[in-house]
Amino acid sequence: MIPVYICDDESLIRINLEKIITEQIIILDGDMGPVRALDDPNDLLEAQKKDSVPAIYFLDIDFPGKMSGLELAQKLRQYDPRGFIVFITAHSNLAFETFRLRLEALDYIVKGDRNAMTKRVQKCLESIVERMQAQRPGQGNYCTVKILDTVRHIPIDHILYLEAVGYRHTLRLHLDDELLEFNSSLNHFAKQLGETFWRCHRSFLVNRSRIQSVHLKEQTVEMDNGDICLLSRKAKQEYRTD
Amino acid sequence: MSLTFRIATVIYSFGMMSFALFVQSTGILGLKIKWRLLPVFFICAEVLQWISLGISILMTLIGINEDIASSSLFDIFCYTSTAFILGWLLSRNLRVPLIHAITASILGTFIINTANSLMVQVVEEYSPLFDRQHFLVFIHFYIPYTLTLVVAVLTSFILKKSEFYRYFSALFRSRFRSIFTLFLCYVLMCIMPLLQLIAPETTPDAGYATFFFSLIVIGLFLIQFAAMYAAGQDKIKAQEETILQQQAHMALLEELQQEIRAFRHDFTNLFSGLTLQAQEGDLAGIQDFMKRTSSYFDEKLGNEIAQMDGLNNIELYPLRSLLATKLAKMRQMHVKGVLEALNPVRKEQGMDTDDLLRALGILLDNAIEAASSPNGEVHIVLLQEEKSLYLAVANNYDKTPDLNAFTRKGYTTKGKGHGTGLSSYRRIVARCRGCASRTYLKNGMLIQELHIPAV
Repeated sequence: MIPVYICDDESLIRINLEKIITEQIIILDGDMGPVRALDDPNDLLEAQKKDSVPAIYFLDIDFPGKMSGLELAQKLRQYDPRGFIVFITAHSNLAFETFRLRLEALDYIVKGDRNAMTKRVQKCLESIVERMQAQRPGQGNYCTVKILDTVRHIPIDHILYLEAVGYRHTLRLHLDDELLEFNSSLNHFAKQLGETFWRCHRSFLVNRSRIQSVHLKEQTVEMDNGDICLLSRKAKQEYRTD
Repeated sequence: MSLTFRIATVIYSFGMMSFALFVQSTGILGLKIKWRLLPVFFICAEVLQWISLGISILMTLIGINEDIASSSLFDIFCYTSTAFILGWLLSRNLRVPLIHAITASILGTFIINTANSLMVQVVEEYSPLFDRQHFLVFIHFYIPYTLTLVVAVLTSFILKKSEFYRYFSALFRSRFRSIFTLFLCYVLMCIMPLLQLIAPETTPDAGYATFFFSLIVIGLFLIQFAAMYAAGQDKIKAQEETILQQQAHMALLEELQQEIRAFRHDFTNLFSGLTLQAQEGDLAGIQDFMKRTSSYFDEKLGNEIAQMDGLNNIELYPLRSLLATKLAKMRQMHVKGVLEALNPVRKEQGMDTDDLLRALGILLDNAIEAASSPNGEVHIVLLQEEKSLYLAVANNYDKTPDLNAFTRKGYTTKGKGHGTGLSSYRRIVARCRGCASRTYLKNGMLIQELHIPAV
């Protein structure tokens, strides 16, 4: 069961939304609940730690005098990087791009018309169910990457290979449809990722399960997306003895 | 005199020279002295000098012409290799371009050598005569070499205070200019050994050394002058650019004003209709009107106002004007630009401002170019957080980009000669300590993120 939280300081909205969400969960027959409605963001932060993650959060955009929705979401994300965040707002022209990109917020719901809200909630919950199902197979194996103060958990089977660039300790992480570049060392990841990865060159660490073929003659390793990694002489011998 | 004393003396003089050279070069580059590097360089320089000394002794012993053996060519070789090693060390550890570091160390070598020969002459000239050998050595080696170090520390301090590096780096603006500078410095460095080669019978004296020293001073003045001129030109260029950017901003304001005027006109018309309806008591009609017009303002002006809000939140002015220019460009190209900057973006960032502008400029240009037509969209998000600045540029596209090709050098969709933008973007990011970049596809958008640590 995925816990669902609602946090809004307006009691009317809170009660309304709780009703809508509970109804929709029953209709969807999703693996979600219990639905908890809170008015204080600090209570939410505490409640989050007591229950399981990932969770679903419906958050107000602002809590006057306490904290902003952005701050709250950032704090929630620290503990639950894979949770689903939906914002509740009074006006539609909020800076949603920021929330969507920075916090990977799912959507926003405009307060007001009940029917419109119901539709939006339904859409959100449906997409959450979809995402949960898509995530299921690779569960359990994650690689933790810390970039500045953001922690990300990347499913290991999404990683193609890691590449050290230049001599300034820059690491390039190649994922499906994503590229990450940050300061770190290959040795650190070689240790974290263990045997599922192969150090085929001083500056390459490849995912064994994503290798298409090894070209001994050209001294290269081809990945299943067509990318080419280098193969060192030492790794070549390793490969031959295996 | 014992052999150990002699060797110690030679080591001391070599050491002093390398120390002085190190201080001088970092001074030219305007950097703080990194003590960790000093012993490394010290050992390298010492080894090199001993090797060339050894070869020259060896050649003399074998009986090859003494002129060649002790010739200035050895000096040149020794200076060049030392300068290159120092340049390499500095550029690697202090993150300055290699050619700057090498030129600085070559120039440093010239200054130090000249200062040293001057010191030797001066000390010899003004010291009383001694018949004790140790004293003689003391005067011939220890005092002048130590004085050279003092001179180096002093000049490097002055250079650092006068921000010489700013002018110095202006000498490397173009490839031709930087090669010319390097060549000139190299020639300067080689003058003394070459002179000795051409005219071996000139005995160096104080006048001779003073001549060289004045040559340095004039040379430095010339460099400073040339560089100041170049820096002035750059400044004018930058100001022109700022003016252009301000004009773009003004254009945005004007456009907004036009829109508001049009809106006011519309609104008066709409309201006169509404007044009529109200007089007739047509409640349903009024409700209908409210529904239609409540989002009217947002639709018409919401985006422009949001852009202005975003721009006003950016305290780093060069960044603000860059964004204003690019937003103007987007309007011109009928690409919808969305700018969001929720928190004030601080003036001080963990990345050099020029680099930051270049990096963001590249991302924006790419995004504008790649945004699909006719419904192109570019979203820009800046979020100042406590420990970092988060930057994201997102665009929609016609053809799904191949992310893994992004890291290939010269990847482009525009044919030969293009594609330098992304690779220089990567270089800038790699150069900045603690910076991280992320490129990904999501919901039909290509998103380029950049995290910059706060100062």
